Amino acid sequence: MAELRIEEPSVVAVLASSEVCERLEASGNGTLLRVAPREILIVGGADPTVEGATLAEDVSDAWSSLVLEGPDAPDAFARLSELELPAEGWVQGDVAHAAAKVIVEPGRITILVPAMLAAHVEERIRTDAAEVLAR
Amino acid sequence: MGAFEFEGRSVSFEPGDTLAAALYRHGVRTFSRSLKYHRRRGLYCGTGDCPNCLMTVDGQPAVRTCTTASEDGMRVERSGGWPSAERDLLRVTDSLHRVMPVGFYYKTFIKPRFAWPLAERVIRRATGLGALPDTTAATRKVVRHEHVETLVIGGGIAGLAAAERAAADGSVLVCDEGRLGRGIAPGASLDRVRTLVDAVGGLDAVTVLEEHTALGIYEGLHVPVAADRELVHVHPARIVVATGATESHGIFPGNDLPGVMLGRAAAGLAGVHAVRPGERAVVVAHTDEGLEHLRTLLEAGVRVVAAALPEALADRLPGGDIGEVVLDGDVHEARGGGSLRSVVLRRGDRAKRFDCDLLVLSLGLSPRDGLARMVLPSEPVTVVGDAAAAAEPGPCDRDGVVCLCEDVSTHDLAQAWEEGFRNAEILKRYTTTTMGPCQGAMCGAALSCFAASRSPQVLEEHGTPRTTARPPAPRTTARPPARPTTLETLAAGVHEIVDKRTSLHEVHVEAGARLDRSGGWLRPFAYGDWREEYRAVRERVSPMDVGTLGKFTIAGPDANELVERLFPCRTADLGRGRTRYVLVLDEAGYVMDDGLLARVGDDEWYLTTTSGGAGRTDARLRQFADRLELDAHVLDRTAQWGAINVAGPHARDLIAGLTDDPIDADALPYPGFADVSVAGVPCRAIRTGFVGELAFELHHPRRRGPDLWASILDAGRAWDALPHGLDALELLRLEKGHVYLGQDTMPDDTPAKLGMSWAVDMSKPWFVGKRALERMQALPVSRRLVGLEFAGGPDRVAELRGEPLVLGDAVVGRITSAERSPTLGASIGLGWVRAADGAFPDRFETVPGATASVVPTPFYDADGGRMRG
Repeated sequence: MAELRIEEPSVVAVLASSEVCERLEASGNGTLLRVAPREILIVGGADPTVEGATLAEDVSDAWSSLVLEGPDAPDAFARLSELELPAEGWVQGDVAHAAAKVIVEPGRITILVPAMLAAHVEERIRTDAAEVLAR
Repeated sequence: MGAFEFEGRSVSFEPGDTLAAALYRHGVRTFSRSLKYHRRRGLYCGTGDCPNCLMTVDGQPAVRTCTTASEDGMRVERSGGWPSAERDLLRVTDSLHRVMPVGFYYKTFIKPRFAWPLAERVIRRATGLGALPDTTAATRKVVRHEHVETLVIGGGIAGLAAAERAAADGSVLVCDEGRLGRGIAPGASLDRVRTLVDAVGGLDAVTVLEEHTALGIYEGLHVPVAADRELVHVHPARIVVATGATESHGIFPGNDLPGVMLGRAAAGLAGVHAVRPGERAVVVAHTDEGLEHLRTLLEAGVRVVAAALPEALADRLPGGDIGEVVLDGDVHEARGGGSLRSVVLRRGDRAKRFDCDLLVLSLGLSPRDGLARMVLPSEPVTVVGDAAAAAEPGPCDRDGVVCLCEDVSTHDLAQAWEEGFRNAEILKRYTTTTMGPCQGAMCGAALSCFAASRSPQVLEEHGTPRTTARPPAPRTTARPPARPTTLETLAAGVHEIVDKRTSLHEVHVEAGARLDRSGGWLRPFAYGDWREEYRAVRERVSPMDVGTLGKFTIAGPDANELVERLFPCRTADLGRGRTRYVLVLDEAGYVMDDGLLARVGDDEWYLTTTSGGAGRTDARLRQFADRLELDAHVLDRTAQWGAINVAGPHARDLIAGLTDDPIDADALPYPGFADVSVAGVPCRAIRTGFVGELAFELHHPRRRGPDLWASILDAGRAWDALPHGLDALELLRLEKGHVYLGQDTMPDDTPAKLGMSWAVDMSKPWFVGKRALERMQALPVSRRLVGLEFAGGPDRVAELRGEPLVLGDAVVGRITSAERSPTLGASIGLGWVRAADGAFPDRFETVPGATASVVPTPFYDADGGRMRG
């Protein structure tokens, strides 16, 4: 069984030196995605104030969340992407031709995609993973 | 028991029957016609390796009937042959073999020139594996990805044993193109397979995909595995290739007659399907497996009139009624008309003919190593079982059919060799041997053997070709797909169209806009009459969704240096709140994109780019920040911010009614921007001039877009505001002489060719593309983009787009944009023209009845007064 839900995520972008990024990573606050050596996305209601950052800003508008939940969520995801999912954690790469960040939690896969591609990815999930969603 | 339809008649089948077994039981002996010479072909390998049993099943051509299970209601027909495969008048081509030698189509039909198109049509109709259906509805295969520790390709004894061992190290996926154990005659091999199937079935780590065919091994590792309803992309850490082997193809005169059969096919019919493959058989068994087949045939009641085998196997000869045993004997020739009638066995100089209707060959093994040969030595791929065995081709210089798929005989290979095609790779290309559906499974080893037997070493040593003294024979290159594959499979999961949508998409749909693709986005082209939308911009006020524009913040201590180096204009002198048009050049000085650069702070910039060029410009920004080791960051706001351009003489009036912030010409001059609140939405208002009227681009948080759009339209009622789409924009920007990159430009356009040298400051010490522009400065500009005015021509002036500009007899340019301007009362356009004799012509012919003259741009509001507001 797998269900698809669309959510509006809360995302803060932090552009900073690698040292600041490493410090921020070490703090372990929130779901922190080190998407590049000098760039971090914090997902889930973080305070957009980061000391020493060149730019730290709420960029939630840029992202859409497509959430797959249920025991068959990995099976549904395998219809969309060749990304190998960890048991828990996150990866980034191509999901249905969108540059995505994928957060894996027990029983839940969150696919963060640029907002302008959300409709496309949703349509792909509903088409390509239809059989899994219908189980 | 069920039944399928075979060429108009009903054929019943027993449970477990393949299509070929059921057809054989019903007396069908001609399974196909050969590709070129229309020779009868009968059931041969029985394992899905050769092309002989390919038929059209339910409209799909080239289905291997020897491995396809019979199903009720299937429609089966043989392909090839006219008027039918059974009574094929095109068999006359077989007698024309001598006048249709290998590669004849490279040498004939050359003159007169119309000969080849005619010949090609005839050849195409006379050959092939069947017609593609033209009415089949498109289906959609499920595509999925599997990540496993070990992929085992092949579910025979070696594959299953490897899977059992690999399960201790992690997940294992076993794929087999058939069903495990199906088609194996009862005996020790089948017992062993069943034991292993039970063993791996009890292991949680092992998943088995039956009727899933591995198409190739790509670096990565990546193996696409195709099945009827899905395409599985397997990403394994390591691969075990256990694809087994087929029995070797024997080459001798008459080797393709119906009734000549490999041992597994004959034993499968007799032992698995209880179908007697013949009444009088000659068996040639060079292997223990061959002796097993002989035993199976004897048990099935087949009368074996002769058996030829090596003396070393004589003590293992099964008991039973065998007419004559020929030790160390071999096949000399098979004879017959439409089917096998007799076989001549030879031992030394002595030959003897045996009347028979079945010749069973077990001459050795030919590994199914197509997949294994796609692998680089460094990759973690292991080949096990018979797939790892060395090929055991028999003599490969005797006359006979070498390539069953492409109808190539030893004689053909010899002729090609004489013509100079003297190694296996070019023999393959010239004769197409190994290039058919079997991909060399039958003929690959024989081809290599043939080439090796004529190698310079052998000829030097022996004077004549020697197959028995040949050096190692390297196989030709193996490439995917390893098995015949449907186009539907190759297309599965290929989604070329990815539509981006702005936050206003639903609003546009609701408004009835005509949406289409532009620059990777779905955009409104018009909401109604685009001319009315055009007038709204020129005379009143009109919003447009420009959320598709690329939008970037560039910030950091070295942000100023990054923009100064990336863009060819001067940026250091740009004050806060001011904007400047910028070109993006590549290292060759060619224009890649353009946009507007705004100075936000001491070391913060905001850049907008074209909708289609955003990705490229983003990449350039990041690439040069890294290459120049600059401490500068790039934040792509394209998805984060929407943008609405409010344009027209009343644009300021409209926005002023929605904001308390000052937006007059002093507070927000052209070219400049200000961060303001419009209808309660925080906006970066940028003064733009693309449409040639007073205009404000309101960049705003994406999720607030629909509210802002509604407020603008609501406030705009006072001026009969209408939204405009791309159709209106096309004319609006054309009247201003603004170019559409891509439409009006070419990949090698420099700023000079576009008449935009004003956007380049060559006095800057360095910027991307400067060196190339310096070199090109010394050269005359050979082509340039110009404004055009048309006289005459079509009523729909836009039809002129793409038409040539002609001077005398020469095409000297092309029209890139054209439209009728109601404001100017003229037909205008843009186009590029080439210099002729060092000067640029200024008057041209174009389509019949139309002329074009070069005129200065902008066509509209040349002094920019309206735009500045």
